[in-house]
Amino acid sequence: MRAIDVHTHPLLRDDHRARAGADQLIRRARAHGIRHIVVLGDVLAYGRQPTAAQLQRINDDTAWLMRQYPGYVTGFCYVNPVLGERAVSREVDRCVARGFRGIKLEIANNAHDACMGPVMAAAERHGLIVLQHAWSMTKIRQRSFHTDPEDVATLARRFPRVRIIMAHLTGCGVRGVLAVKDCPNVVVDTSGAAPEAGLVEYAVAQLGAERVLYGSDVPIRDFAVALARITGTQLDAASQRKILHDNARALLRLP
Amino acid sequence: MRYLDANTWTGRWPFAFIEEHTPRSLAGHLRAHGNSRALVSPLDAVFAPEPGPANYQLLSTTEGVTGLVPVPVLNPGLAGWRDELATCAADPRVRAVRILPRYHNYRLAARAVLELAAELQRRRLRLIVQVRLIDERHEFHAMNLKPVPVAELQAFLRQAPRLRVLASGLLRSEILAVLPKHPRLLADLSFAEWHDTIPHLLAKVPARQLAFASHTPFLVTAAARAKLDTAEAGAATLRQIAAGNLERWLA
Repeated sequence: MRAIDVHTHPLLRDDHRARAGADQLIRRARAHGIRHIVVLGDVLAYGRQPTAAQLQRINDDTAWLMRQYPGYVTGFCYVNPVLGERAVSREVDRCVARGFRGIKLEIANNAHDACMGPVMAAAERHGLIVLQHAWSMTKIRQRSFHTDPEDVATLARRFPRVRIIMAHLTGCGVRGVLAVKDCPNVVVDTSGAAPEAGLVEYAVAQLGAERVLYGSDVPIRDFAVALARITGTQLDAASQRKILHDNARALLRLP
Repeated sequence: MRYLDANTWTGRWPFAFIEEHTPRSLAGHLRAHGNSRALVSPLDAVFAPEPGPANYQLLSTTEGVTGLVPVPVLNPGLAGWRDELATCAADPRVRAVRILPRYHNYRLAARAVLELAAELQRRRLRLIVQVRLIDERHEFHAMNLKPVPVAELQAFLRQAPRLRVLASGLLRSEILAVLPKHPRLLADLSFAEWHDTIPHLLAKVPARQLAFASHTPFLVTAAARAKLDTAEAGAATLRQIAAGNLERWLA
């Protein structure tokens, strides 16, 4: 079955293999039937508060992948909302000019913070998709800077015209699915942690298969395992096809 | 390829929408995923005041169910563990016991655990240490449980050097940190992951120390198979990980 992976980090300094590693990872992606990937940048490279120069470096790596694998890679621009409106706008404009199609947000701040305003305004201005890292903060207790699914819901209600991917279904869990259920501009990706059983089925039951997207989080996760989270369920073939491929194709407007 | 699954469970887990298996339904589920043999423990032993009733239920209900090897749960934090072990070990199918130190509120350094290790060795039985059952970030909000720290596991291994131990539920980083220092330790692959999991681990860990495990019903059963079936490694190596290592460990 063909797939589009909306959550990848082919260049991760933790992987210690640099650009050669990305090449091997993309070869494996293709071998698994993945026809397109969204590259989110190396969000672990410089800690949770990357500077403007560090963000440029990370996004330049993503742009390199887009040039290296034309038609195979969609880039999302990694930004740090805490740097302020000017820095955010400058980096988003720079990335949009290079063909990036979305914005990636990690843990510089919580998604309910006021500093998200300029980011979401930029997303709306350019028609970009926002992929927000999220995890249930019930046990982690970092909510001052780490986004809980409830915070994604708050963000989505404040900016209903921006399409948001809430990352890490497994990390968000049942409570996370319920939190965004009434936010039609939010879809969830299936990445995060080990492949816990029952969650993809639950998300489909609550949100509909149209609002669930396959994402792996490679290289932290294994393509085969990430795909089996969907193909290993009892979901019917049509639902699996939507999750693995069709939903992302529509969202990214791919041919 | 033949598989021997190091980590499966029967019974009910109250904190997630996962299947509640009887031995028969579990065996059928595993067979549907191409896996005809598995070690199985009772989830009901995790929260019960003592594991005895769940173990006896496991031993009686797995009888006649082809492919399932019962692995009773022991709690050396309770005074009656020697009797419990004797009762379980009387069943010739029992080749190993499983302990869950954090769920049962003791440390591996506890004197009773070392006594259990000695007793298991005397009986030529194996020990499975359940390092984690689920991702600690996803525990039920009212539970305050952390995995067994690798330092604690390593200290225990140094104190029981001749006991055959399988560590279940180690993360990739923990496998890489621990296994090269403890060449007799076997670790299951249930929680280990990288984009090329098997070659990545084999760069630092001998294949003979790794064992296939699905951790059914907590994790997606098909995912464990996929991890091995798509691995870029030699067929003999994969056969070893799929079943050979665990067979040798149990023998």
